[in-house]
Amino acid sequence: MKKLSHILTIVLLLAFVLTLAPVQALAQGDVVCESDAVVQAEDSLSILADKFYGNVLAFPVIAEATNAKAAEDNSYATIDNVDVIEVGWKLCIPPGEAAQAMLNESVFTQVAAEESSSTLVVALTEDTVSLDPGRAYEFHATSIHRRVYDTLTTFPAGRLDEIIPGLAESWTISDDGLVYTFTIKEGETFSTGRPVTAADVAFSLSRVKNLQGNPSFIMDNVASVEAIDERTAVITQLEPDPSLLAKLAFTSLGIIDSEEAKAHGATDAEDAAEADTAEDWLNNNSIGSGPYMLEKWEPKVETILVRNPEFAGTPAAIGRVIYRTVSDAAAQKLGLEAGDIDVALDISADQVPSLQANPAIEVYEAASNTVFFLIMNMDPDIGGPLANDLVQDAVRLAVDYDGLRLLAGGAAGTPVNIMPVQWAYALDPAQGIQRDVAAAKAKLAEAGYADGLSVELLYPEFTSGGIAIGTLAQKVQADLAEAGITVQLSPGDIGVELEKYRNAEAPFGLWLWGPDFIDPIDRLAFTPGGTVGLRVNWDDSNASPDLVEAVSAARIATEPADREAAFTGIQDIMLDESPFVFLVQSGVQVAYNASLQGFTYSDSALGRVDPYLMSK
Amino acid sequence: MQHFILRRLFLLIPLLLGVTLVAFIISRAVPSDPVNAALGQNAVGNEALVAAFRAKWGLDKPAHIQYLTYLGRLVQGDLGQSISTHQPVVDDLGRYLPATIELATTSIILAVCIGVPFGIISAIRRNTWLDQVSRVVSLIGVSAPVFWLALLGLFVFYSRLRWLPGPGRLDIGMDAPGRVTGLFTVDALLMGDVALFFNALSHLILPSVVLASFSMGLITRITRSAMLDVVSQDYVRTARSKGLHERGITLRHIVPNALIPTVTVLGLSYGNLLTGAVLTETIFSWPGIGQYAFQASVSLDFPAIMGVTMLIALVFILVNLIVDITYIYLDPRLREG
Repeated sequence: MKKLSHILTIVLLLAFVLTLAPVQALAQGDVVCESDAVVQAEDSLSILADKFYGNVLAFPVIAEATNAKAAEDNSYATIDNVDVIEVGWKLCIPPGEAAQAMLNESVFTQVAAEESSSTLVVALTEDTVSLDPGRAYEFHATSIHRRVYDTLTTFPAGRLDEIIPGLAESWTISDDGLVYTFTIKEGETFSTGRPVTAADVAFSLSRVKNLQGNPSFIMDNVASVEAIDERTAVITQLEPDPSLLAKLAFTSLGIIDSEEAKAHGATDAEDAAEADTAEDWLNNNSIGSGPYMLEKWEPKVETILVRNPEFAGTPAAIGRVIYRTVSDAAAQKLGLEAGDIDVALDISADQVPSLQANPAIEVYEAASNTVFFLIMNMDPDIGGPLANDLVQDAVRLAVDYDGLRLLAGGAAGTPVNIMPVQWAYALDPAQGIQRDVAAAKAKLAEAGYADGLSVELLYPEFTSGGIAIGTLAQKVQADLAEAGITVQLSPGDIGVELEKYRNAEAPFGLWLWGPDFIDPIDRLAFTPGGTVGLRVNWDDSNASPDLVEAVSAARIATEPADREAAFTGIQDIMLDESPFVFLVQSGVQVAYNASLQGFTYSDSALGRVDPYLMSK
Repeated sequence: MQHFILRRLFLLIPLLLGVTLVAFIISRAVPSDPVNAALGQNAVGNEALVAAFRAKWGLDKPAHIQYLTYLGRLVQGDLGQSISTHQPVVDDLGRYLPATIELATTSIILAVCIGVPFGIISAIRRNTWLDQVSRVVSLIGVSAPVFWLALLGLFVFYSRLRWLPGPGRLDIGMDAPGRVTGLFTVDALLMGDVALFFNALSHLILPSVVLASFSMGLITRITRSAMLDVVSQDYVRTARSKGLHERGITLRHIVPNALIPTVTVLGLSYGNLLTGAVLTETIFSWPGIGQYAFQASVSLDFPAIMGVTMLIALVFILVNLIVDITYIYLDPRLREG
């Protein structure tokens, strides 16, 4: 990687130097030749500069001196084009000091100035385990990979409701919904210089599946990925799954240069989990086709990206991106105010007012995709009274949604049902449940708990996006108390609580969910038999047949109209029937230097800020 | 003397074995599963992925086999691979420990250089304004919360006055010196890079002062009270009645005796600084062993937990050994035994 970055620097410098042409002649009396050189076969000005000065970039010094000398002594050659010299030419080699002076004055200072003005510093809390796209599954790695490894499909900047072509220029879907055929864009190249081919697609995706790592579940339903020809890749699924297109936009499914990867121990064979040894190399090198490439990763300190010289599109305006680990929100704010940091990703909602008061800083606020929700176990032996659908209704009616949103702060939102705010097929907020304590009491009485009831709420001691779950739990406790439900708070270590939650042993709990991929199908986790459904023992056996049928239809619908009908249908039913209460969608706050242009924010599954779209 | 040190070093082996056993039992007794911490919400519902995870990290074997396997590797100097960093634990410790050693050592030097003289002066000039000032300062040092001091320090000296740099061991984008000791200040000097040395040093000032505050306060208070205790001893009165110089009495009779409790506190403080700097490390984004240990325990990263626990045990044992050796120099009576 060091080598690549050096090459990149050299290329940039060469480009700069060439713009200086025509080479200016020095005043004749100034020219001193320390020695003369006669051009040999294979020589170039750069090679000679390297030979005499130890620096390939010093070649203009030789050209200038020779041209100046040629004016007074025609035994010296005249160099019109620094790229063309001929065998036998006599060249003037000035002393080393002249070369050094020229290098100091012109090239380096200007390039250094350009470098500093186009460096972006992003402060964040680092959670990276690995920078191997096939093994990474953390927010920070996603931010890095987003613009290093291109994916077949992608989302438009800052939007989640449409899928657009990435490395694939187009695709077709077979009638049975199982086979997706992708055509790869022409002219895309990896940072290694090799073209992106369908074979790379097949290798990259199969590798993720066979590594059996954290992101491998995305490939669960994929039977095979094959390269038909140079530019055609075919993905065959086990079951029809229309969310494939959204899943392919996930950074772990970024396309890597298979030839380079194999040279460093990568394999896409079935035994990749044991046989693949490329992780360490991929932690320090990148082989993607995006606008940036990895320069270095120093764990818990910083990750640096630089422009990919082979990138097929318009080069990025920001030449260098430094992701700096600043673990504390207050320290991020101080760094931003001091001007050392351009973007602070982890500031909290209560810091926003003072940041907004600063004219040099802009704050971006939106609802995040993280949803906090209550679970009530459907198994009467575990859930007790909470397994009763009337009690579940009462809890839904007793919660103060507006209050929770205020408590969460910033631009927090209230999800009406399983679809978060900003997502396709989200229900109209007017359909949302309004707090009604009297109605909640009536439901409780109907269920046989006229005198109220007492329950224990389990939750992890955990903070996400600046919101401590415990704070939300206290608010729920206060809200339910008004309706006659006494809640005992029972916080625990996240590892311990997760165990109970995932084993469906918790009667009543408060949890959160961030999407794994941006497709409505991700939200089916909250339906009977879905990931979270199973955690409250809710499946086809104890859910209403209408709902079960609507869920099966939603899983396979591909046409937008069919999808809309299916997902809306599910949510209409779930407004009255579900063991969940969707409390609040936390806000996200990002503060950045006001001089930054083109700031856009995408979901954390899509890399959050996008340096490629920004300039300073 | 040599015999004493050898015997103590030999005791290390059973002690460390005991530590591994206790750490192993406690970390396995937690009613939680590392699968939950390491795998995402979808992956954890996938039996094949969970099985692959358990097989990869050896969690599918019975506990006693896991322990014996661990010991077998340990003998060969292999601490296993960390689940949460995918790197060998030995490499991780090598990466994160030097940062903490640099910070803790600077802190303890600060704490001693300021705390001991303060304590001595405070005792000699009891109830003067000097004493009052040192008592107030040491009280603040002992009682002010570290995170508050850290943020206050950053706000005043970094954000407002701009005298000191922000969080991190070096300026943003600056390359670390070539790795010899892992201590940036030392490595920069070895490389002869003066600018880098001063950069690393300037980054060290604020976190080390903040981290030193508690130890400094403690050392001042202990030294002062030990001095006052010794001043009223019979041998000091005898020395005085023999007509010795007051300075000679202080330097030859009072200070060496008063330093014994200080050395004890010093040893413990250094151990605590090395292992308990989590808050300071977090606020100053200092990539040290405290943060690593915290992360390991939260994610139930067994190999990392075991590695860190053994390292901490080793540090405490060695520090205690050094403290005991220092006692021998300070107290002639111990030399006979």
